[in-house]
Amino acid sequence: MQIADWIESEILNGHFENDGKVYSQYQLAEMYTINPATAAKGLNLLVDENILYKKRGLGMFVSGDAKEIIINKRKNQTLKRLVRELVLEANRLQISEIELIEMIKMANNQEAEQ
Amino acid sequence: MSLTSINLWETVKKQYFFKLKANIDAFSSLIGIQLLALLFSFGGVGSVGMGGGNFSINIKYYSADLVIGFTLLWAFVTAITITTKPYRNHDFTFVTNRLSSSLSNILFLLTASIVGSITAILAGNLLKILAHILLDGQIYSINTGIQELVMGVCVTIFYVFFVTSIGYFIGTLVQISKLFIILIPVLFFGTLFLDASMQKEPFLVNVFTFYTMESALSLFIIKVIVTVAVFFTAAISILNRMEVRR
Amino acid sequence: MRVIECTDLTKTYLRKIVLDKLSFSIEENKITGLIGRNGVGKTTLLKIIAGFIKETSGQVKVFSERPYNNLNVSLNSIFVDDQMSFPPAIPLSEILTVAGNFYPNWDRELAKRLFDYFSFDPKSYHNRLSKGKTSTFNMIIGLASRCPLTIFDEPTTGMDAAVRKDFYRALLKDYIAYPRTIILSSHHLDEIEDLLEDVLLIKDGKKQFQMSISELKEWAIGLKGTTEEVLNLTDGKEILFKEYFGVNTIYAVVKNDFSEFLLNKARLVGVEISSVQPSDLCVYLTSETKGGIDDVFNKH
Repeated sequence: MQIADWIESEILNGHFENDGKVYSQYQLAEMYTINPATAAKGLNLLVDENILYKKRGLGMFVSGDAKEIIINKRKNQTLKRLVRELVLEANRLQISEIELIEMIKMANNQEAEQ
Repeated sequence: MSLTSINLWETVKKQYFFKLKANIDAFSSLIGIQLLALLFSFGGVGSVGMGGGNFSINIKYYSADLVIGFTLLWAFVTAITITTKPYRNHDFTFVTNRLSSSLSNILFLLTASIVGSITAILAGNLLKILAHILLDGQIYSINTGIQELVMGVCVTIFYVFFVTSIGYFIGTLVQISKLFIILIPVLFFGTLFLDASMQKEPFLVNVFTFYTMESALSLFIIKVIVTVAVFFTAAISILNRMEVRR
Repeated sequence: MRVIECTDLTKTYLRKIVLDKLSFSIEENKITGLIGRNGVGKTTLLKIIAGFIKETSGQVKVFSERPYNNLNVSLNSIFVDDQMSFPPAIPLSEILTVAGNFYPNWDRELAKRLFDYFSFDPKSYHNRLSKGKTSTFNMIIGLASRCPLTIFDEPTTGMDAAVRKDFYRALLKDYIAYPRTIILSSHHLDEIEDLLEDVLLIKDGKKQFQMSISELKEWAIGLKGTTEEVLNLTDGKEILFKEYFGVNTIYAVVKNDFSEFLLNKARLVGVEISSVQPSDLCVYLTSETKGGIDDVFNKH
């Protein structure tokens, strides 16, 4: 769901404050030229995950622990998947576990230097 | 979005004004065709000549009958034209059903008949004036009063509208099957030839005299109205079953 | 409220069956995409709904009335395609006025703005427009009429990419401001899928399925991996599409009824799992050919 991903990123970037109002389904529909029902589904997905909460008649707002939830979710899902793919590719290239860990450490150091 | 509703006559009215606009070309061709007829009439529709020892008389007749004849032809063609597919499709681009489409067509044809008749009769008078101005020699003309003029227009309207109803009906038949394009002329001339070869009064001539030789105006009007109604009703009921924009 | 309801709707021309016992309904104020290959009866179906042509058997209701010869259906609906015809004697700007006389919700302002935006010449005539311009003009009529049921049959025929994009955006904006029931028929689902809420897929005059676009996006999955692993996974399932790569690699599309556990297991043995684009899926589902285009060349 691209809409949900996009709003999550905006929250992580700090574009939406805690308890701040996010775009309505109609605003999103206009911004992305998508059907409002599709936009609503994206928003509801985030409500189900407690990232957003509804105020009746007022719209959708960012929950207090939205960032935490998103970070956790991305750790659990996205990062785990990436690691799994990494391991698979390493196996294909016959790279040993120690070698792989070394590579991760190196990448980490490079990132830290920058 | 909330639904709206409309009654038949409102739709017919809207379609009628739409058709006046859409078929404006029919009126310009009317003027062209009447001018042409006028030009032909100017040579005289008939002449008698006689002579003696040292004199000769040449009598020429001038009349606007040809203008009325051309107008009838125009009305017939116009009526057929508006039954054709493109014209019906234009109606269905906007709001209509088949009945309102036909009723507005009939109203349009009535308007065309009225306009055509008035201009045809006026063209006749124009011919008279032109003859006075342009021709030398003695001019004799029957003077007609305003009453005759109005009467002439009215009768012409009935004739022209009558012809449109035939045209509309034939046009409708052609919409069912293109075979009628051949079938109708074959029937028309076929009966003429058949009756002629059998040496009897041709059926179509009888039909013709049934209308044209009626001396009582009221009876003539009734005959025409009944026939027109029959043709249009038949056409409407056929068109009502016809699919559009296939 | 159901705006359209069809039950066992059938249409035959002479002996050819064009629509075959079609049953479906369309809810109020949704944008539905009518998808199918060319010549499967999409246009016929839409023309029956618009009241232009008659159903052969079965039942069709629009606003709870039979559409054929129905004045109220005609008033509250508009059918837009590239065959829309206008009297050749009326100039374009006046056609807008005429349309405004007929349609009660007509938005003159919108019509005028769109007319100017797409730089139409007010004095020009409809039969002198190019293919793309014709479609653009007809689209303006379709949008500005604001009919509670608006039908667009292949509305973008001949439009260039920029105009198509403008059209989709104009349609969506006006729909958001004035929600109404819209049917968009197209064989390019990829272009319109973002606009749609529902999809109705037709094949050979029959309903293949009707579902929301989000369901459709998750309905199938693509599996790519070694032939034995993929075939193992898809054993007993209908393979909607398959394609071979290299020596021992296969890509197969199947209905997604795998458990998360099974998918994880597949990933661990190196099978790539991907979602399937709705437009691709519709192509696979409506495929009328046997095998693929490659088979034509392999016979030799």
